[in-house]
Amino acid sequence: MKEALIQIISGFVGTVGFAIIVNIRGKRFLFTALGGLGAWALYLLLGLVLPGEPIRYFLVALVICIYSEIMARVLKTPTSTFLTTALISLVPGGSLYYTMSHALMGDYSSFFTRGIHTLKLASALALGIIVAMSAVKLIRRIGARRKEKQ
Amino acid sequence: MEKLLACAMDIGEQMVISGAEIYRVEESISRMCTSFGASRTDVFIITSNMTATVYTEDGRSFTQTRRITSSSTDYEKLHNLNRLSRRICAEKLTEEEIRKELDEAIHCKTYPFWLECLAYSATAGAFTLFFGGNLKELAVSLFAGLVVRLCLLLTEKTISGRFFSKFFSAAIATVIAYACVKLGILDDVDMVIIGNIMTLIPGVGLTNALRDLLVGDSVSGLLRLIEAVLIALAIAAGFFLVSVLGGFVL
Repeated sequence: MKEALIQIISGFVGTVGFAIIVNIRGKRFLFTALGGLGAWALYLLLGLVLPGEPIRYFLVALVICIYSEIMARVLKTPTSTFLTTALISLVPGGSLYYTMSHALMGDYSSFFTRGIHTLKLASALALGIIVAMSAVKLIRRIGARRKEKQ
Repeated sequence: MEKLLACAMDIGEQMVISGAEIYRVEESISRMCTSFGASRTDVFIITSNMTATVYTEDGRSFTQTRRITSSSTDYEKLHNLNRLSRRICAEKLTEEEIRKELDEAIHCKTYPFWLECLAYSATAGAFTLFFGGNLKELAVSLFAGLVVRLCLLLTEKTISGRFFSKFFSAAIATVIAYACVKLGILDDVDMVIIGNIMTLIPGVGLTNALRDLLVGDSVSGLLRLIEAVLIALAIAAGFFLVSVLGGFVL
């Protein structure tokens, strides 16, 4: 529990720091930070039901991507503002580091297992974004068609 | 028309630089030109080059290109540019008005440099804790984050080239981590390096690459992807170099 709390808070601080680095301001800053907070909280919550890391990465990316699309419409700003920043705590930096570290030590079997794990997480993240983007596109197209009919 | 096209191209150029997806820029330029009265607009953009031709009602055509050499993610600037391009489509601004607005959009507010340093420091520290670091590692990581930002500034001012600056920054962060182990402050270099890798990692580049690829801008997507991979390799190279040397010293 204590560990989870530390992770949520530090993930939030990390997101805020990153939002400052890419110069996000005002209301957009607030909602980016909230997105970052929500992303890791959701990841940990999903951990109660789903043990697999990649599937949780996929689901969180999916939700955050939809959140970003919605906030982008509401605040009239490009989607990437929220997407690239709120997902920062899901970037598998730790896993990537251990992959490099194993390579350095010449421990190739660990290197491969870690490397494949890192790739899995990154692909799950990408897949979540892909599915959400396609869904949003589809919804927009249906909406546009309905307007045409009217 | 020629001058208006130049305005639209300048807006587009700044959008690409500040980190917009390619399809957004192509669409913006095309819409702006339509609102200027073009009968047809052809825009093609890849991350380092943009070309646009507009055709007017009376059968003339104008073509302009822009070479894009720099890129630095700035979402405030992008937001302003995006808003400006929408306004142009809705309100029919004159050339002088557009120039003035564009100037304002480019010179938008940025966070002061000390706050940016603090942000690097806080982000590095936060991710050290996030991946399971203890308080000692947090303190070193906060310090290393600050040094990394100064390092990026130094390399950007002297040797322009994103790969080198990331390589150098990763190397410096690793040096600090190893030095602290040597001095007996830390037991392990891992957490400090992880925290600082998180601030250097090209997450924005990767996400944008993915979005470009998905909407069909394959060339731009691949270019951004390759760039992100090269940056990641540069970070890894910085880490490897120092670690191998550090292995001899310790």
